[in-house]
Amino acid sequence: MGRSGSRVILLIGAAALILVLLSTGQYSSSSLGISCVREGYGIFEKVIRSPFSFIAGIWNHYIFLVNTSHENEALRKEIDELRVRSMNLEDIKNENQRLRAMLEFKEAFQDFSLIPASVLSQDITHVFKTVLIDKGSRSGFGINTPILNPSGVVGRVIAVSPHTAQVLLITDPNSSIPALIESSRVKGIVKGREESLLSLEYVRSTEEVNVGDCVVTSGLLGMFPKGLKIGYVREVKKDDRQIFAKIILEPCVKMEKIEEIFGIAQTVEVSD
Amino acid sequence: MLKLWKFQISLFGILFAVILLEVSIIPAAWAPLRVDFFIGMIIGQIIFVPFSQGFPFVILGSLILQAFSGARLGLIPLLYIFTFMAIEVLKNLIYLENAYIQASLGVLFYCLIAAATAFLTDFAYLKGITVPLVVGALLTGFVSPMMAYVVGRLQMAYELEYE
Repeated sequence: MGRSGSRVILLIGAAALILVLLSTGQYSSSSLGISCVREGYGIFEKVIRSPFSFIAGIWNHYIFLVNTSHENEALRKEIDELRVRSMNLEDIKNENQRLRAMLEFKEAFQDFSLIPASVLSQDITHVFKTVLIDKGSRSGFGINTPILNPSGVVGRVIAVSPHTAQVLLITDPNSSIPALIESSRVKGIVKGREESLLSLEYVRSTEEVNVGDCVVTSGLLGMFPKGLKIGYVREVKKDDRQIFAKIILEPCVKMEKIEEIFGIAQTVEVSD
Repeated sequence: MLKLWKFQISLFGILFAVILLEVSIIPAAWAPLRVDFFIGMIIGQIIFVPFSQGFPFVILGSLILQAFSGARLGLIPLLYIFTFMAIEVLKNLIYLENAYIQASLGVLFYCLIAAATAFLTDFAYLKGITVPLVVGALLTGFVSPMMAYVVGRLQMAYELEYE
């Protein structure tokens, strides 16, 4: 067989090999031959590249560090800036949630004319529980204006000036609100007591009161509209020798955390 | 006379700054915490300013403080006037210029004022706030010499001389 004949055989053999490889899915990673070739190339490439990488690494990380310090400083500043922005965003997110809740609350109480206000300061003493708000008589606040927030009743205005008002919180020892237990309709008076709790007084020991019962405003005296949440029954103590039960309530509103509140405008008629 | 007015106006400026601290900034950090800066100012008044000027400042200052409390009108002035009078009496018995004594007086009168407000309602109201009360008393003790020093520095700055 001549030289050209052997070339033809080689070509046919190569074509056959290609066909076999194509038919067995040779391009998949599972193909042993291809894998071996890749592995071999990988090792070769690593052997060739590693001294260059080693030298380049030494150059870049240990010798050529002209701008690294500046870059580091700039990055640190950027991180600090991003941290501050992140904190601001968190604050904005929380504020957004609060304002959204207040908007929903305002929509739910469309019958009342609600005036939004913010808390300016707390009481200067430990015992008395009052706050100063940033709206006064010019905004429609007056003495005894009910103050509430989306969680429930906050208190009532006891002193007012054109642009500020002093609010007596329901947890103050001098505060008392006519109330009733929502489920049993038993009436009583909610008073402030120690540890930012409330007590429901003048409820007879014979009345059915359970822990977890919701207490709402009764609307008596016309100061607060009927049905506003005040708190939940936390503890009930009954004594056969006592006429009235001792009922302790947990207020719906966390008084230490109030920031935005609503006042019910005085022009609105409340049930009597 | 003009210097005297400037001195008094500066004192009220400082009072407004400490009110901002007392009722807004400190409660924003920890709601039940109250730190009394006014006791230190009273001590400073007694040490550096004559009675005829110190006493009206305490009355007016405590009336301003009354605006930030739900207590009955007159209670806050009463408590601070009592504090002023008591320290005025103590001035003749102890060396008030000592910073440690000023700090001790700050703690003592802070506790007395808290007890007096509770006495008018119920002592049970102090039960739930023992920790902030103790922290507040210690911080009041810490700031009292500083406030007394501020009053003294202010008096020196205006070069007021009393006989």
